[in-house]
Amino acid sequence: MDTLLNEDEALLRDQARAFLTKESPTALVREVESENKDYDPSLWKKTAELGWLGITLPEEYGGTPVPFSHLGLLFEEMGRGIAPIPIHPTMVAALTINKSGTEQQKQSILPAVISGDKILSWAWFERGGDIDLSSVQLEAIVEGDHLVLSGTKLFVDGYHHADQCLVVCRSLADSEGNEGISLVLVDTNSKGLSSDRLPTMAGDIQDAVSFDSVRVPLSNVLGEVHNGGAAAVSLLETAVILNCSMIVGASHKAIEMTFSYAKDREAFGQPIGSFQAIQHMCANMVTWVDGATMLTHEALWKISEGLPATIEIASAKAFCNERCPAALREGNQIHAGIAQIKEYDLQLWYRRSAAWCMRLGTSIQHRRIVAREIGIVPS
Amino acid sequence: MDFGYHEENEIFRQKIKDFLKENITREFRAEVREMQGKGMGPLTKELILKIGDMGWIGMSWPEEYGGRNADRIDQYIFEEEFVRARVPLNIGNFIEQAPAIMASGSEEQKKYFIPRLVRGEITFALGYSEPSGGTDLASLKTRAVEGHNDYVINGQKTFTSGAETASHIYLMTRTDPDKPKHEGISIFLVPMDTPGITVRPQWTLSGGRTNEVFFDDVKVPKTTMLGNKNDGWYIGSKALNLGRAGAMRYYTYVSLFEETLYFARSNPLGVELMADEIARDKMAELYCEAQVARLFTLRSLSMVRRGIAPPYEISSEKVWGPEFLVKSTEVISQILGPYNQLWEGSDLAPHRGSFPKRYVSAMVSTFGHGSTQVMRDAIARRGLDLPRGPV
Repeated sequence: MDTLLNEDEALLRDQARAFLTKESPTALVREVESENKDYDPSLWKKTAELGWLGITLPEEYGGTPVPFSHLGLLFEEMGRGIAPIPIHPTMVAALTINKSGTEQQKQSILPAVISGDKILSWAWFERGGDIDLSSVQLEAIVEGDHLVLSGTKLFVDGYHHADQCLVVCRSLADSEGNEGISLVLVDTNSKGLSSDRLPTMAGDIQDAVSFDSVRVPLSNVLGEVHNGGAAAVSLLETAVILNCSMIVGASHKAIEMTFSYAKDREAFGQPIGSFQAIQHMCANMVTWVDGATMLTHEALWKISEGLPATIEIASAKAFCNERCPAALREGNQIHAGIAQIKEYDLQLWYRRSAAWCMRLGTSIQHRRIVAREIGIVPS
Repeated sequence: MDFGYHEENEIFRQKIKDFLKENITREFRAEVREMQGKGMGPLTKELILKIGDMGWIGMSWPEEYGGRNADRIDQYIFEEEFVRARVPLNIGNFIEQAPAIMASGSEEQKKYFIPRLVRGEITFALGYSEPSGGTDLASLKTRAVEGHNDYVINGQKTFTSGAETASHIYLMTRTDPDKPKHEGISIFLVPMDTPGITVRPQWTLSGGRTNEVFFDDVKVPKTTMLGNKNDGWYIGSKALNLGRAGAMRYYTYVSLFEETLYFARSNPLGVELMADEIARDKMAELYCEAQVARLFTLRSLSMVRRGIAPPYEISSEKVWGPEFLVKSTEVISQILGPYNQLWEGSDLAPHRGSFPKRYVSAMVSTFGHGSTQVMRDAIARRGLDLPRGPV
């Protein structure tokens, strides 16, 4: 028991923070957003060169098999640095392929991901945006040695530049819930695919993707066809906890900016940070964001140890979704007028972390998981 | 990061659980209920001796003072399991007064008090708050005037829990009224049977007892002073900070939720109430927030084990935990509705009528041992380095 970072973890955090402070300045973040560039290829390449796209992946594909906590801490720094690269969708898909894919799939995809030559995305959500697998209805029909996909996926992160998209679909027509689910890798240049860019609050890359009888070879299915329910749940859990890490990282940065501001900004002849009303807001902010951090870290540790972490992940996400935006709103209040001005940097963190808290399941949906796990749902 | 327990820790936890199962009997529970506010019954005394024999009291203290240099994690597990089992141990003495005596006491005091604390022969009531102030503790007025061989104490303490049964009082007094308020304070370790001490009960909303303690020309030898004259504030505040952390406190904050969760899963009424999805959502929210209370405690513990003095983390624990407890009494009362008001004595009352008692006593956690407002001041100033403002 030692909830603090160990030496290796602290080293990675420090390296990532130093790298992103230098390589992901707000000027770059603004440039990528304002010119609709989606991401910065040069930062992506540099991140790959540091070996960070291979964290937790096997050595034989060029990865570094370290505990999962390292990946979480890297994502925390990616959130803190609001790095404009598609690391979340790519790594979530890559980790799923590593866990559930065939040897051939791993060989053909993972080395290219790790070297920064392949961007991946994954598609789960449909109309309703629920995190329950019963909401997955995208139709997939087996025809000979192909799956034929029809339907629409929403909120597909990083799709625009992805080479492949890992699609969660329902391959058994009359199945329910976790049954009859398949995970299949779809080349984004496949015939019958079309996408619509969704304009978002954070100005990031999301698409609505339509499948019009898209034919995908069965060899692209991860694991067994119709039997991908567990892998789909695992995919989402991975996505959720790494999303929590990003929220926590961005939130820490935003509240630290607020504390500095409170020390410098004067009103009524003294720093506003000397007023007890402001001090108590700041004390709440750090307590809430620390709480989100501790829940996230405990979940990361459980995953690192190979222990079930369903309830820890859901708890972390439910808490992050509500408390981190609350902390950042207090930050806006302390900044007051300037918080709404685009030119001022605080908003870069505010909009992104707020948007991240709206994705991958609401607090209500995640508390539904918590309620199930603590055994209070009547049978 | 490591959020797990070693196998030895798990074995230790099991040993504690086995001990509790064997010793916390129906008779023991009946005695505790019977003796509430009246001191220790024979079974409780026997239990404390047994716990002492197991080497569990003060186990993380140095060996020379009766401890065994045990891992603080084991200490945490001990506190967690004992509080979970609702054993009325004066754990506060073991985490506050004993360390303060070890840090600042004379050799004689250490030799006298520490082994007796371990055996449960000595218990301290805390003589801090006064009628004129508690949160602004350093403004205390109880005077100790130095004579030739002794000090003469006059004044009044209030909300002195346990004074009716304690053998001693850990008494903060003013020894120099001319110095700045923090620099004229001294602590005395005073036997409660010293002539001139009067204890008067103050009954609380939950049916519990606390006390007013009056000091009228109470003469105590100079050797009863802890540490140096006028150092009392610094000796006391260090111990007070220790007493704000630890499993004892965190578990006190979350136990109501845990008991309600048990009720929701196993009691037919509880199960029925959980048919409502909104009620389940509220319970799930409390679950997440209870984990934060636990994790904050483990964070402080991890820092202390690494030799880091937590600059603000213990204060965060002391804000989050108590406010969680108060919130949980509110949420739970809105889930249970009229059942939450049923006091002990009604067959319809869930959990022997303990819910309304918890409801009316939860407030104590947000002001006892330092109010949550003072804790927020500490977080902002010591943790975030915000400037001290106009007072």
